[in-house]
Amino acid sequence: MTTLLHRRYTDGQLNALIDSSPAEIATLTDDHRRSLTSRFRAVSLTQHRRLDAWAVEQAGRVGGPFHWSPSTARRVIANGALRRHLARPDTSMLVCVHDEIDAQLTRVVAGHVRPGSLASWLSTLSRPALGLTVAEAVNGATQLAHVANAIEREWQLPDSDAYYDVAAARTTLRARRDLIVDRDGARVVLRLRAGAPGKSAGPGLRADMTIDTLADLEGVAPSRFIGLWPEAGVMLCVDGTMADLRAGARDLVRTAVAQRRSALSLAA
Amino acid sequence: MTISLDCEPRVVDVLRGDRQKRPRLDTTSAAGLRAQLEDGIHDIFTKDLPPSPLVVRPSSLRESWHATDLSSSTLGLIRGALVTQLLRLRLVGVTIDNAFDDAVAAWRADAGAGPLLATFDQLDGDDRARLATDVTAHDVTLSRCFGQLPSHWMARSCVRATQRLAGGHVILRDVVDLTIGANTAESTTVVLVDVTTSPLGESAERTLRFHALVETLRTSVVPLRSAVFSSATGEFWTRDIEPELLARSVDDVLEVLQALWSAR
Repeated sequence: MTTLLHRRYTDGQLNALIDSSPAEIATLTDDHRRSLTSRFRAVSLTQHRRLDAWAVEQAGRVGGPFHWSPSTARRVIANGALRRHLARPDTSMLVCVHDEIDAQLTRVVAGHVRPGSLASWLSTLSRPALGLTVAEAVNGATQLAHVANAIEREWQLPDSDAYYDVAAARTTLRARRDLIVDRDGARVVLRLRAGAPGKSAGPGLRADMTIDTLADLEGVAPSRFIGLWPEAGVMLCVDGTMADLRAGARDLVRTAVAQRRSALSLAA
Repeated sequence: MTISLDCEPRVVDVLRGDRQKRPRLDTTSAAGLRAQLEDGIHDIFTKDLPPSPLVVRPSSLRESWHATDLSSSTLGLIRGALVTQLLRLRLVGVTIDNAFDDAVAAWRADAGAGPLLATFDQLDGDDRARLATDVTAHDVTLSRCFGQLPSHWMARSCVRATQRLAGGHVILRDVVDLTIGANTAESTTVVLVDVTTSPLGESAERTLRFHALVETLRTSVVPLRSAVFSSATGEFWTRDIEPELLARSVDDVLEVLQALWSAR
């Protein structure tokens, strides 16, 4: 049976969720990986595809092309700014956001960016649009810092999101993660999200957790994966059990099937 | 407290208040308010439930049944959106060269602009020129009255909040123009500031209360203060959040829901 807990977001409830995460954690073996790979190969496409929790929540519906905007750039810049703030606590969050954007723009000047990247988009912005991007990023970084500082256990900001390339299936899986909390050797992963959770938020969290487990070298699952919606003041979480990992993998494969059907009908 | 700001004291000075008089952290009122709302909603939906969720926003509270609210006109909404962008830019230290052009550029960059932006694009030259003059005047009031916020106040602009009640049949949606401060283990320094381009009136007071209610429901902690600033007149109202103020906001919300339910 899969798990899904719903809690109101308070500092105390967040710490309680972390402390009560299960001690027994599932591990994915090579057989599990091979089995998943064969399923993805069966629904391969001619072009490369990237699947994430959002695709699962949208049941594979293909939206419009991705565009950078102050809202979509918020998370990347905010996480980078918070990392800078942790390294230099005496520096204000606003300065850290400016430093992060400056670092991105420096890469553009050095010619180390590809078209369509965040740095490339930032370099095209007018001063007011850049100001709005800074305002959004300050909001995001302050929110993430508030959540992180309320955690009583040791935590760290992940260096990147979790990625897993499915061999010979032209498929990359991506799991977003914002904080990793150490819980007696095991890990609890937190992801902050905008808006309010919908009916498919649970499957989305399971997909994130499954990808995070696949991206782990040893295949060890997080003991708990917590989704936090600060705007709604709500938390949802799933546990790192084998049933949840199986459900997450199943949803990812179903999403791939739905996308393939959609691509084939478009081609016809 | 009502203050008419010309230059001194500035909004920042008023918001700072007296540190010695800050109340202890209130984490118990939220559950009671939620229960009051749920009971009230249950009384409104006596027999059947709405087919789609009823949404209550600050604008729902502003709507007057007896008079036309000028801030709700299309031009008023566009002016409000542009002044909000200017506030956001000023908070992060952006130098404003041309208030109108900068506000429009920021607004266009904001993904959420949508249909209002389309209406703006269809304005003729005269309307646009009138709007530019108006926005510039509001920006002058903003820049004179706000002052620079200290960085440790952790100012956030356009903070969104959503609360679902009655099993998702009622949604409270809110956007607070400026939020400062944070909750600590013992006290709260969270202050919510609404910036409006209309002169302050009874509806501004309802908005001020609504911000406090939604923030309390969202975080389960009662904020310290809620305030509203008019960029039209420079007036600034600030209220310390007390249980009576939150209870009145519950009544405001239930009144709006009753009206929405009756009008369906």
